[in-house]
Amino acid sequence: MNARLVSQLVGLYPLEWRTRYGGEFQSFLEDHPSDLGTILNVIGWAMYERVLSLGRFKMDRREHSLALMLYAYLGAIAAGVNFYWTVADTPLAAAMHSRPGLFTSWNLVRGGSLLAAVAAAMVGLPVLVTILRTALSNRRWDVVYRLAVPPCAALVTLAWMAAAASANSSHWVPTPWDVTGDWTAPQNWPPLATRWTLSSVTLVLMMVGTIVSAISVRQAIRRSDLSKHRRLWFTVPSTLLAGSVAVMAFGVLTWGWFVQRYAASDFHLRNGGLFSSTNLFSWGLSSLVFLVATVVAIQGSRTALASEAT
Amino acid sequence: MSGTRLGPGTLYGAIARLEREKLIEALPAVERRQPYRLTAKGLRVLRAKLATLHGFARAGLRKLEAR
Repeated sequence: MNARLVSQLVGLYPLEWRTRYGGEFQSFLEDHPSDLGTILNVIGWAMYERVLSLGRFKMDRREHSLALMLYAYLGAIAAGVNFYWTVADTPLAAAMHSRPGLFTSWNLVRGGSLLAAVAAAMVGLPVLVTILRTALSNRRWDVVYRLAVPPCAALVTLAWMAAAASANSSHWVPTPWDVTGDWTAPQNWPPLATRWTLSSVTLVLMMVGTIVSAISVRQAIRRSDLSKHRRLWFTVPSTLLAGSVAVMAFGVLTWGWFVQRYAASDFHLRNGGLFSSTNLFSWGLSSLVFLVATVVAIQGSRTALASEAT
Repeated sequence: MSGTRLGPGTLYGAIARLEREKLIEALPAVERRQPYRLTAKGLRVLRAKLATLHGFARAGLRKLEAR
């Protein structure tokens, strides 16, 4: 195999892997015949090693706690948005005004989301300032680029939604939750298949953007020195975040219990979309993501509290 | 040994995993070749695996002969 191709193939592996095996693997490949099967084999294993390396970051406890908080918060946002659109503009919203139990559990979710936003700002803003200041003073552009990924991903998704909205006469916006149904579609909206296709693109953009953003921020955290931050800056927000996500999860679960009791027919309503999903399915999805986010947030808090020992 | 030729990615994926699990260790390089050898733990694990396979093969052969 020629040296140029070999160095390109070896370059696909993560840095840690290349540091340990790069030299010997390069020699091994150069002595190996070059064929499509071999190239695909190396590419496949390089991707596998890249995925494995995501879970092998050498982070200290504070950085690890920060990454867990980020995942939990992103999960809570996704679940909260899905939950909001399960209820908004549906008969379930009307049922909430007449049932105090439903209204209270809904407000638990709202209160929890506010507290979670406060916790995220408490930990996120000082850390962001530190990472940016250190990166700019050390000319670590790789860190700055990684921090720019989340706003860029959001801009791309918003630009797509704006472009799709301006392209149809009713200015219908393809939101990601439109993939699950169309129970409130007015006459002048585009046909169901068009709406489903456009909102699927939004959903994919949002999911890919979220995953890439999470990886980029995690890499930026990993490349930065947060050892000068006081422990309190991690423990208080992480505990607040764990508590608020738990409150949201509790609110969503009790909301489901109340709605099953007071508005079961609306809860089980099929919305007529391509997935033909029900409000129950959508609520179940939100509950599941909230529960996972709670577990991750608690783990993040425990890691932050254990950081004193390091 | 088994007649199967591993791709380079597969081979180094296996080497990396075995080394992470401390089942093999690298020896000094010989020109362009990088030899590895089994560690004590690797030897124990390999012996146990081979014994399991041996028992499995014997049980399978017994079943076949009884037919």
